[in-house]
Amino acid sequence: MDNATERESVPEQQNPIGMDGIEYIEFATSKPQALGGVLERLGFRLVARHRSREIELYRQGSMNLVVNSHPADIPRTVNPVERPVISAMAIRVRDAAAAFRRALDLGGWEIPVHARAIELNIPAIHGVGESLIYFVDRYDEFSIFDIDFRAIPGVDPHPPAIHDMHYFGLVQYVGMDRTLDWAEFYGQILGFRPLPDTVRFGIMPKGLLLQSPCGKFCLQLIEPDGAAQFAPMEEHFQRIGLGTPDVISTARELEKRGIEFLSTDKVHTSERGALTASMLGGVMFELVHTNDGK
Amino acid sequence: MNFNDFGIDSASMAGSLETRLAAACQAGFTHAMISATDIVGHPVSTEAAVQTIRNSGLRVTGLEALRDFEGLDGKLHDYKVDVARSMLQLCSRIGSRVLLTEASSSIHADIAPDKIARDLRKLAVLALPMGIRIAFKGLSWSRTVRDFSAAAEIISLANCPNLGLAMDAFDVIAAGVPLDDLDLIFPDQIFLVQLSDFMLQEIRSTEEQASTAAHFRVFPGEGAHSESIARFIVKLEEMGYIGDYSFDVYNTDYLQMPAETIADRARRSAEWLGETVLRRTLPVPNMERLRAAKRQAPG
Repeated sequence: MDNATERESVPEQQNPIGMDGIEYIEFATSKPQALGGVLERLGFRLVARHRSREIELYRQGSMNLVVNSHPADIPRTVNPVERPVISAMAIRVRDAAAAFRRALDLGGWEIPVHARAIELNIPAIHGVGESLIYFVDRYDEFSIFDIDFRAIPGVDPHPPAIHDMHYFGLVQYVGMDRTLDWAEFYGQILGFRPLPDTVRFGIMPKGLLLQSPCGKFCLQLIEPDGAAQFAPMEEHFQRIGLGTPDVISTARELEKRGIEFLSTDKVHTSERGALTASMLGGVMFELVHTNDGK
Repeated sequence: MNFNDFGIDSASMAGSLETRLAAACQAGFTHAMISATDIVGHPVSTEAAVQTIRNSGLRVTGLEALRDFEGLDGKLHDYKVDVARSMLQLCSRIGSRVLLTEASSSIHADIAPDKIARDLRKLAVLALPMGIRIAFKGLSWSRTVRDFSAAAEIISLANCPNLGLAMDAFDVIAAGVPLDDLDLIFPDQIFLVQLSDFMLQEIRSTEEQASTAAHFRVFPGEGAHSESIARFIVKLEEMGYIGDYSFDVYNTDYLQMPAETIADRARRSAEWLGETVLRRTLPVPNMERLRAAKRQAPG
């Protein structure tokens, strides 16, 4: 079957919204300094602050990470509490307005403009739990951060990444029997596609992996196990996956900087990946081996 | 006994929401179908109704009903999407995992299956982040989707995992549908089964069916079609249906009787079905546990 594609015309992978990776991932917390400390140990640098809202931008290599401690003012969005939660992902698209309109046509929920963290008119829809999905089309020559944010004086605005770390993906916890639902949601609205079970990344074997249509980002959907099956449905982004070509060296470097990795029989650092201990009441990061800086 | 498989419908009973839910609990029910009008018509506030439901100890079988949603264009479509959003938010607030959606009977609705499927798919995507499933039900007086097999075709066309079927025993029995027709349905596609009997031996016209459906239903075992209902749910069990049954008994006489009396009648019906007709192997408190149990069972 190796030559199946030569016999048939297999269509190119579709990318209906022209997705081109992740512009930023956002945390919400009422204790931004505590989270900032964790991020610094992971190699992120605070590079800018929002002009008028309690929002900070951390950066490392290609990764933008926003820490939002501005109180939310509409229901079904994250109101910052002490424990940091992943409150948004902003995806780069060809035409944000078009991607947004398309999402609404397909059944996405619009977020009112005044409620969005960043003041620029960045269209957004509801995602999992209380989180948002932003569509961003200004990321080439100048970015949204050039307009709404003030750079921290004397800080390198583009701090290099430790061992080429980059966003690999997000892990999303879903309810019982909800994997297909969410695969449909991301497939419909963003063009994500399930990867076959034989393709695995990292050391955490569970769940369904969805790959973005641009091939630059993954979502991993994980259903509850054991006793959690009987608990009320709880769905949210659980952790960020950081890709690196050298997991062992990266983990060693991060350990030196004060990050603790899990080391049990089942979960321990290997060439394939590593998982940090839970910090600040639930914040975790996963290292995932990737072949290049993508 | 497998009493928990059966839920009562708040629309079967008269009285305040509090009275009806208390009667349902008193009779031993663990879940109940809630009407949107129960919530927004609450004399104190919508929030008070939501709290009443959440504090009742009852699980919500589903919220009913979104009507005339599909097949519309332009401003009518936008209006109905807005109505659907509002019902989904209500559904989420009362902790319901199912929104019952009835096929359109609007004369303005497009009857093209592609358009109907596209609209229902949009509804399902709207419901998806909230963990709500859309149970779509054919109506004998609909212009487009008159029965469960037509509804099943639309659902297959729409092809969205949280869009499935609500089946009403009344429609199957009143229309004299052969049970073998159920073999066309995948059991996983059925999200809700509604059960009711009726007194008339035979229904002669669509008008008569519509009026019987709205006013003269009785609980399974009380009417003229006990055996047909028994065969119907045994068939569903054989197919592997593992979801809820709900008594959709709409009867104007029952609305002049105390809620406790009606809940007791419902209880007797559930006992008859649970003990004599349907002998499920596991008493199961909710869908989540049911599915987990099914998944872990060997084979």
